[in-house]
Amino acid sequence: MSVADRYSFSCQGRRQVRQPLAAAVLAVVALLAVGCGRTPPAAFRLNMVEATKQRLTPEQERQVGTILLAMFGTPDDPVALPETGLDEAKLRLAAGPVRSDIVGRKNGLYREHCVHCHGITGDGMGPTAAFLNPYPRDYRPGVYKFKSTERADKPTHADLVRTLHNGIAGTSMPSFALLSAVQVDALTEYVKYLSIRGETELALMRAFFELDDEDEGKLPESKEFLFAEILEPIAERWQSAAEARIEAPEMPTDIDLAASIAKGRELFYGDKANCVKCHGVTGLGDGQANDYDDWNKAIVEVTKELDSGRVKLAETSTRGMSADEAAEHRAQVAWVERFGKVLDGDALRPRTIPPRNLRMGIYRGGRRPLDLYYRIHAGINGAPMPAAKGTVDPEDIWHIVNYVLSLPYELDGELGADRMMVAKDRL
Amino acid sequence: MRNRLAGIFWALLFLAVPIFGVAVFAVAPAIDVWLPKDVSEHGVRIDELFYFILGLTGIVFVGTELVLFWSIWKYDAAANDRPATYIHGSHTLEVVWTIIPAALLLFLAIYQMNTWADVKMRRPNMPPTVEVIARQFEWRLRYPGPDGELGTADDLHLVNDLHLPIDEDVLIQLKSMDVLHSFFLPNVRIKQDAVPGMKIPVWFKATESGVFDIVCAELCGWGHYKMKGRVTFEPRPQFEAWLSRKYAEQQATQPSPESTTPDSGDSLAAN
Amino acid sequence: MTPPTAVTAPTVDHVHVSVPQSSHAPHGSTPGRGIGHFLSTYVFSKDHKVIGLQFLFSTLLWFLIGGLLALAVRWQVAWPWSDVPVLGKLFAQEGGQMAPEFYTMLFTMHATVMIFLVIIPILAGAFGNFLIPLMIGADDMAFPTLNMLSYWFMWPAFAAFGASFFVEGGAAAGGWTSYPPLSTNVASAPGSGWGQTLWLIGLTFVGVSSMLGSVNYMTTIILMRAPGMTMFRLPMTIWAMFITAVLQAFALPVLTAAGFMQLSDRMLGTGFFSPEGLIINNATPGAGGGQPLLWQHLFWFYSHPAVYIMILPAMGMVSDILTTFARKPLFGYRPMVYSVAGIAGLGFIVWGHHMFMSGMNPALGITFMVSTMMIALPSAVKTFNWLGTIWGGRIQFTTAMLFALSFVSMFIIGGLSGIFMAATPVDIFIHDTYFIVAHFHYVLFAGTAMGVWAGIYYWFPKMFGRTMNEFWGKVHFFLTFIFMNGTFFTMHILGAVGFPRRLADAYHYETFHHLQPMNAFMTWCAIGMVATQIIFAINFFWSMFYGPVAGRNPWNANTLEWSAPSPPGHGNFDFQPVVYRGPYEYSVPGCEKDHLMQTDPPNQAAAAAAAALAAH
Repeated sequence: MSVADRYSFSCQGRRQVRQPLAAAVLAVVALLAVGCGRTPPAAFRLNMVEATKQRLTPEQERQVGTILLAMFGTPDDPVALPETGLDEAKLRLAAGPVRSDIVGRKNGLYREHCVHCHGITGDGMGPTAAFLNPYPRDYRPGVYKFKSTERADKPTHADLVRTLHNGIAGTSMPSFALLSAVQVDALTEYVKYLSIRGETELALMRAFFELDDEDEGKLPESKEFLFAEILEPIAERWQSAAEARIEAPEMPTDIDLAASIAKGRELFYGDKANCVKCHGVTGLGDGQANDYDDWNKAIVEVTKELDSGRVKLAETSTRGMSADEAAEHRAQVAWVERFGKVLDGDALRPRTIPPRNLRMGIYRGGRRPLDLYYRIHAGINGAPMPAAKGTVDPEDIWHIVNYVLSLPYELDGELGADRMMVAKDRL
Repeated sequence: MRNRLAGIFWALLFLAVPIFGVAVFAVAPAIDVWLPKDVSEHGVRIDELFYFILGLTGIVFVGTELVLFWSIWKYDAAANDRPATYIHGSHTLEVVWTIIPAALLLFLAIYQMNTWADVKMRRPNMPPTVEVIARQFEWRLRYPGPDGELGTADDLHLVNDLHLPIDEDVLIQLKSMDVLHSFFLPNVRIKQDAVPGMKIPVWFKATESGVFDIVCAELCGWGHYKMKGRVTFEPRPQFEAWLSRKYAEQQATQPSPESTTPDSGDSLAAN
Repeated sequence: MTPPTAVTAPTVDHVHVSVPQSSHAPHGSTPGRGIGHFLSTYVFSKDHKVIGLQFLFSTLLWFLIGGLLALAVRWQVAWPWSDVPVLGKLFAQEGGQMAPEFYTMLFTMHATVMIFLVIIPILAGAFGNFLIPLMIGADDMAFPTLNMLSYWFMWPAFAAFGASFFVEGGAAAGGWTSYPPLSTNVASAPGSGWGQTLWLIGLTFVGVSSMLGSVNYMTTIILMRAPGMTMFRLPMTIWAMFITAVLQAFALPVLTAAGFMQLSDRMLGTGFFSPEGLIINNATPGAGGGQPLLWQHLFWFYSHPAVYIMILPAMGMVSDILTTFARKPLFGYRPMVYSVAGIAGLGFIVWGHHMFMSGMNPALGITFMVSTMMIALPSAVKTFNWLGTIWGGRIQFTTAMLFALSFVSMFIIGGLSGIFMAATPVDIFIHDTYFIVAHFHYVLFAGTAMGVWAGIYYWFPKMFGRTMNEFWGKVHFFLTFIFMNGTFFTMHILGAVGFPRRLADAYHYETFHHLQPMNAFMTWCAIGMVATQIIFAINFFWSMFYGPVAGRNPWNANTLEWSAPSPPGHGNFDFQPVVYRGPYEYSVPGCEKDHLMQTDPPNQAAAAAAAALAAH
């Protein structure tokens, strides 16, 4: 046996293989074909947390989906019913898949700029969301933090435009000032659309609880029910937002800035405003750190309920129960399990909301004195920041505003550009 | 004969390299896919250097590729029976084609030192015009404000919308709040990485008004692509007027009258 | 002018003489040997040829993966936010539109896979392993067990990089350059969590594997050459492998150290690379006191020599292939050797040219500019010598020759485009644009990968005893050549416009608005290029089993490996090779054959005796 035979990849027994090349090509092509095929078009997601919380059956979930489809359309094809007060032309600019640059960048604005954080349904759970701190806004409850209206009211159109225009400093929400006004307007309209749709979805899901037996677990699909009872109250609140605008008095002119700041400081540490309780005696936001904003709080409370429910169910034995009771017990257990899974897959892990560090000079809702006035007067809707309205006089609020604005620069001496870097210098 | 055809085919394939190579570089400027408009004082010198190197490398490129093509064309085994030349090298040639490229390369290096020093080493002695702080994923800007000093309570804070005066030196103080970014102004031929923990000066003089892009040129995370800013160059009076307007908006204690309808965006105060 | 290589009697100035194979344990499939024997012969083999082939198959598979990642990148660049084929299913919610952090992960892993799992291992691990003992006349490497380990240490790297795609947050997304604080801070990118940690672990294993290999190659080449094989009779492939091994040995420890420092920053809370007080994504700031630029210096101190590691072996192989198919000695053998050494030496003092804009002292911009300009010189000398080799030859257009010729042609482009970036003022504009992307794809793909294919077509008969199909090889070459230039040449133009790299969507900038059609064209070419490799894959595997049987020397080449059987058995040579000549004795005047093997002795009687011995 020669050396060449001792080590060889060649087959010893020859086999005639017909068309080996063709067979190989076919195999490769088959493999490729498996991976191809277009993805289905984007679709809104059902609010699974609320659906599970309301113990909706699959048919009921389907009914909600159908109603929403008829009332609001799809991400590619939005519908703006006149009752909503939305402009469908603007929605079409924002909706749809992102166009390639050859055709022009008129459509798909939402998917180009917003979807990967805020999600296709506006649920604040896009692919990037779980990673961000703070989480992107979930539009579906219709609650917004930074606005010029009273605490419980909706933001005006201009408020939302301002948020898009300026971004939210200190978060991942960027400034869209470089987009044209038309584009920002279209995106704002689409945000309102997603909000109204989300609130309608919540109202529909909660309405199942009010049904009589004769409805057989199905919502009435009459115009009277869907519009008068569900949609119109929601849309009405959006349309009347401008009427709830806070009227801020003029900043007092009979007092100089240093005196105003001193007065503000007194109020900051005083009992009426009691800012130090959360913002800390040094203003570093270290007063208390265990609270949640509304979106996270909802998940925290549900999780707590589920956990205690799970414990109770585990302790209860089915012995001695009637057949009906045992069945109900099993259904409860199944529901708790299902809700646990939904929370794992359809909700972001809750995060506490720390009070703002006022020494940084970063103001999420805007840095104009007027913006700070709004925050202090009305508090922040959705967050633990309380409203000072009624407790603190409007003029005094201005003094607090002046004090807060001076906090990043409050030092024993003046700060020049050649001094050592301090915290606020890292802005 | 068939073999000779193959040789011709391959030789022509390699000939296509210099032909298409030059063609692409000739067509691109003609269809306006080329260096963007330059509005800076030093940019002219950078562009000149670019063209010089392009010309030099272009000549070398065409020359060597043509030699390659010619060798393949002429010395195809199917075309001639003459045996190959049995030669191991040429000392003279080695010396020539070592010395000449070395001299050219060294010249190229030395020729550029002055421009580099002007752009990156010879900082003008002046206070900063603006501080640019890069952050995931925006350009935060801080102007000194009426007291002329950066780092005081009257600074003007803005985002992404940089304005600068023309026909005078501007000095930008570049910082980063989080990760590495890079401040790239294509139309001013300026690029400088923003390094967290460092304060890096960037200076230039713009010679023409206009609105141009600010691009982030160092990977900074998922939003690197959307870290877009806008730089507006305008004459000093307009620049000052814009600064005052923005400053007034920042100090607003009452809502702006246009706050119900958006317009060009300028009336809405930035941070 | 140097006289023709003198034919001298063999000198015994080195230690080792090739051991005749009778001293090796006999092989044979005796029944009852079982699984242990199978494992030690075919899996954990210590035979350098088996190890070389193991490297070859593994790296070719990762080449496919890296290429597919590139296609995903190209898709997004051409049609941003559109439904991505195959991968779109991961984003079904959004209609197939990929998330921006996914894009950053794609280009990071494309580069990582291509550099660390394909190019470096295929040149040193596959070709180096297979060819070094054969070309120097040794029976195996100096340290066979170490050699086996160097392959198997790649597998933890494969596992680490592969697993990183499936962990929370996905694979690393900080670029293959992995600059801190983006890579060290978990809050700065989703891939900077477990993905980045696994990336660093994978990198460490690749480093260990490379180090084991480099020690082996240096020792083998210095100590195990056959009698008569002086250093200046070594083929260029071996010189290149040798100098590459030296580069690995000196540069790699710096990367390993830097990698450990980064791991330490991430897991032990140190702050080598982070200044204090950074608030990234509202996370609590970690320890500080460090500098991001430190990583860049350490990283590029290795990674610049690494790019020469990624091309020198290909240059060596191309030199050998060109001489074989031009039937002509290499023009300027000694200048070629000195150039390779010069590239390697200069390669250690140019790393700062990756950092011109980084914020390092601008005075260093001047010093690094000079050294970087000078490193173009040895590459230029090599190019002229290749041209001199072909000139006056008798060119045979085999597939391997075509790939080798295209290496020269494309390397000219890649090398010349480097000069733009060496010029620091010009670099201000083109740094981090597609100009650099064009440059490195030309040298790495149009250069090294072409060299790799040339090597595969050329040494396939030696590896498997059969030749690959020449017709389909030429089809593969032609289509690859066309599509590759279509994909990468216009990147130079994009770079001239200032089109930045690593952007998921550049078209919303006014400056780059109009570049989408060009990018779409480039993506079509890229798709064509990857599709063409199907032809190569089929040819490769089919020829292994059904290709025409090759003899010892199907190309009539003259280096030592062509005296061994195809494929060589354990112990490589079935006679004791003794070297009388240099490696490029083609078309020697007065000879009936147009080549003289390195083992051909100087006179007729000895030649007859040697022929008789070889023909047993």
